Amino acid sequence: MFGYKKVLAVASAAAMALGLAACGGSGDGADGAGDGKSLTIWQLTLDGDQATAWDALVKGFEAENPGVKVTTENRAVDPHKDALRQAAGTDSVPDIYRYWGGPGLGGELIKANMSLDITKYYDEYKWADSLTSVAVARSELYGGHNGVAFQESSEAIYYNKALFEKAGITELPTTYEELLAAAEKLKAAGITPMEMGGTVNWHVMRLLDALIETECGAEIADKLNQGDGNWGTEPCVTDAFVELKKWGDDYLNQGYMAISQDDSSQLFFTGQAAMALEGDWFGPQAVNGGMSADDFGIFAFPTGTGRIYGFGELLYVTQASKNPDLAAKFLDYMISEDGQAKLGSAFSVISANKNVAPPADAVLANEWSELVSQATGSYLNNDQNFSTAETGEYWRVQNSVLTGSISPEDAGKTFQQWRDANG
Amino acid sequence: MATETQSPPSGTPQTAQRARKPRRLVTALPYLAPALLLYLYFLVYPMLDSVRLSFFKWSGFRTDVPEFVGLANYVRMFTADPVFWTAARNTIFWVILTLAVPMVLGLLLALGLNRQMAGRNLMRSIFYIPSVFASITVAAMWRWIYNPTLGLVNQALEQVGLGSWAQTWLGDPKIAIYSVFVASIWQAVGFPLVLFLAGLQSVPQELVEAAKIDGANALQVFRNVTLPALKPTTVVVVILTIINSLKVFDLIVGMTGGGPAQSTQVLALWSYTQSFANHQFGAGGAVATVLLVISLALVVPYMLWSLKGQDK
Repeated sequence: MFGYKKVLAVASAAAMALGLAACGGSGDGADGAGDGKSLTIWQLTLDGDQATAWDALVKGFEAENPGVKVTTENRAVDPHKDALRQAAGTDSVPDIYRYWGGPGLGGELIKANMSLDITKYYDEYKWADSLTSVAVARSELYGGHNGVAFQESSEAIYYNKALFEKAGITELPTTYEELLAAAEKLKAAGITPMEMGGTVNWHVMRLLDALIETECGAEIADKLNQGDGNWGTEPCVTDAFVELKKWGDDYLNQGYMAISQDDSSQLFFTGQAAMALEGDWFGPQAVNGGMSADDFGIFAFPTGTGRIYGFGELLYVTQASKNPDLAAKFLDYMISEDGQAKLGSAFSVISANKNVAPPADAVLANEWSELVSQATGSYLNNDQNFSTAETGEYWRVQNSVLTGSISPEDAGKTFQQWRDANG
Repeated sequence: MATETQSPPSGTPQTAQRARKPRRLVTALPYLAPALLLYLYFLVYPMLDSVRLSFFKWSGFRTDVPEFVGLANYVRMFTADPVFWTAARNTIFWVILTLAVPMVLGLLLALGLNRQMAGRNLMRSIFYIPSVFASITVAAMWRWIYNPTLGLVNQALEQVGLGSWAQTWLGDPKIAIYSVFVASIWQAVGFPLVLFLAGLQSVPQELVEAAKIDGANALQVFRNVTLPALKPTTVVVVILTIINSLKVFDLIVGMTGGGPAQSTQVLALWSYTQSFANHQFGAGGAVATVLLVISLALVVPYMLWSLKGQDK
């Protein structure tokens, strides 16, 4: 028989062990008022220029609409996602929330009935006439229209002009073969061709996404990423992983798997790496990191499809909003020329409004404008295409190929097997 | 016969003691109740609910009604989750290594630092200080130490002419888990050290002296006197070490995030990732339940064995 102390001791141990299984939480946010005079917006945590620009936008809207009060709630990325998840289906949702686009991230909230189909406002305000075609397309992925583009982020290859010159590269690569040749020249000159930070999986993912687009072409890439394409049977998938491995072995900075993207960015800022696959936000960072804006330029990853790489963030109206008309009015102001002037280049160089030119003082404004205008379309970062669980497996396969634990030939099959088992 | 006269009659103090035990519990209950209720509501209920959730498919959205799927989450976890087995292997590996290295090291340090010597208190503090640091701070520090280009380890190897030994300590799946474990040892050794130091104070010095007089050498004294006297302390250290090892989380998150390619993944982190990053709360609950079963399977038998006879 167990003694009294023994029972207590065992019960304590069981309770301690049970603690390992515990998880949970809940919380509620602000409420919206149906008075047509107030709006609540859930926004990510902002600082510096972004905070200033957002405040200017809100104040500009309030000035145009006397008596209207806009309340912004800010959260860091993960708490923002959690708050929306917990508030879904309750009265605690805001009138407007900022979120990413794409079937994976944005689509998840749309499936959960968070977002209001705002097609009638698109028609009423004729937003399709003022938004870029890419921005409109972001809202059309799920049938009807969900959200209005808040910022368009495009990604391309930044290059260090002096290092290219030192390696004898006189023309910017326009094909993938030319890009490889340039990388080879840089390597021969003792320069790290491209910097990457592998601890944040999405940084290396950009290279893989671009290689899928390069090797598979736009149509098959879209099927693989957004449709019913089979990763296990498309030969181009293997080709893409072979190329990924080649970049990892030959052209990325040494030890890239063990450093973050912030650390790897320093290699570009300090002239130790010649290229970086980054977005339009990277230019100001490079300048803050000690480079002159004249020291670097950009060119599109030469996929051969003519599409530009990037992702969108949108402001969505919630289904539970008590003031959808006022929310639509705010969105209309946000994408107006006045509203975009208030935002400036704090969030992105390229405006979602096709009639708004990049601010003159924005880093690489003309270059980005030219790249986007020349693009025949866009392709998304795959962490926006995939569900979060699928993205995790995509990253695992990508990193396993780079570290040699999965062969490029098996990579597509491995990913497809997971999709089939967990779809 | 003397033995007969010493037999306790019925109604002896022993029986009375047994009768008093329930009454003691009744007396204690008013004091225990508030904390017990809070404990049941905020700890036990969520734990059991997590187990319940493991039989459902749920994205975490309130608008998404959890769908009962029976054992599907477990079947998928065991057969189609490429990370689970890596996480399970790493977790068990972590428990074994933690029992073997920091605990033994803690005991040896305690034996050394229990002697009279100059600077003893300073050395005790030096060895204990890392264990008071937050794990995330330790992770940040060791991430820098392991930095492949600027880190202390590789720089030091370069300086002494062993540059060829330099590694991407946290970027190579073959060694990343060991690299994290080294940081763990650095942080964890202070905990058993302090407990064993406390335990050593309870070793009866007269027994030690008697053993020495009887001609026992240092090893014999340690094996036959010190070690048995340390048994209660060892029980506590082993149990807490197992539990802490099973739920290792923050050091892994801070140093590798479970990477590269999930090679440093552990069950506690994988449960969290499935629930809060992948938004598969059923799958996360299933991993947590497996972790719970492993915990109970390891801790309860050991506890029962080690407490044998202590009620007498």
